[in-house]
Amino acid sequence: MFKNYLILSILLFSLGLIGAVSRRNIIIIYMSIELMLNAVSIMLVSYSSFYNTNTGVVLSIMVTAIAAAEAALFMALFVTLYRKKKSLDTSLFNSLKDTNATK
Amino acid sequence: MLSNMIFIILATNLLISSFVMISTKRVIDSALSMLIALLSIAGIYATLQSSFMFITQIIIYAGAILSLVIFIIMFLNIKDKNLPHEPHKTRDMILTSLVVFPITAVLIYFIKLSDFSNLNEKTTSSIGKVGLELYQNYVLPFELISILLLISLVGSITLARKEKDV
Repeated sequence: MFKNYLILSILLFSLGLIGAVSRRNIIIIYMSIELMLNAVSIMLVSYSSFYNTNTGVVLSIMVTAIAAAEAALFMALFVTLYRKKKSLDTSLFNSLKDTNATK
Repeated sequence: MLSNMIFIILATNLLISSFVMISTKRVIDSALSMLIALLSIAGIYATLQSSFMFITQIIIYAGAILSLVIFIIMFLNIKDKNLPHEPHKTRDMILTSLVVFPITAVLIYFIKLSDFSNLNEKTTSSIGKVGLELYQNYVLPFELISILLLISLVGSITLARKEKDV
């Protein structure tokens, strides 16, 4: 039973990794990162539940709090980038690129 | 037996909805299937008898973070022409999963090999015990997280503010 939780967590993490690497939509990339954080949380909580300790739950609460802080910053970033580029495509976000370097 | 069945249903629901989340074109479909995924994760916390994480998952993830995402998607008024043009999306996803698959397979193989025979039964982690653990052993990280949240609040307001014309 415990192994099922670990396998589920690993599969969820892999799905999140595939989404974060292969997509070009910035909101979907953000949601894939959230999926990976959730996979780690499932693993921590299942360890904590089966080994009869509370440390995993505490660490998982901290992961959730950091994800909330990250969400606020990501939303501000979406608004700023969308206002400048009118698109969600990550390949267009190249404002820091040195245009003289390639010449 | 019943809890096993519930776990299988929730896990299937979770994996299918997360696959839909990473593969749809429109952002709002992706956000709504992420809502289903987050609620399934809350159900999985419930099968682990971890009541505090169940409540936290529903209130913070499904209630706060995801409603913020949906609010931003509606606020930006994203049309189809503003979405990225991804002609090779299926090919890219298949290639990425070919890279990720060996790591996943090796990890699952090692989990199948390993011996967890000294496990306890699933125990209920009550909110009181979690709170005692949090305030006895993890006071400093807890306070640091409150500072981090304050900094991210100020930072996001500064970042999203409209700049004056130079």
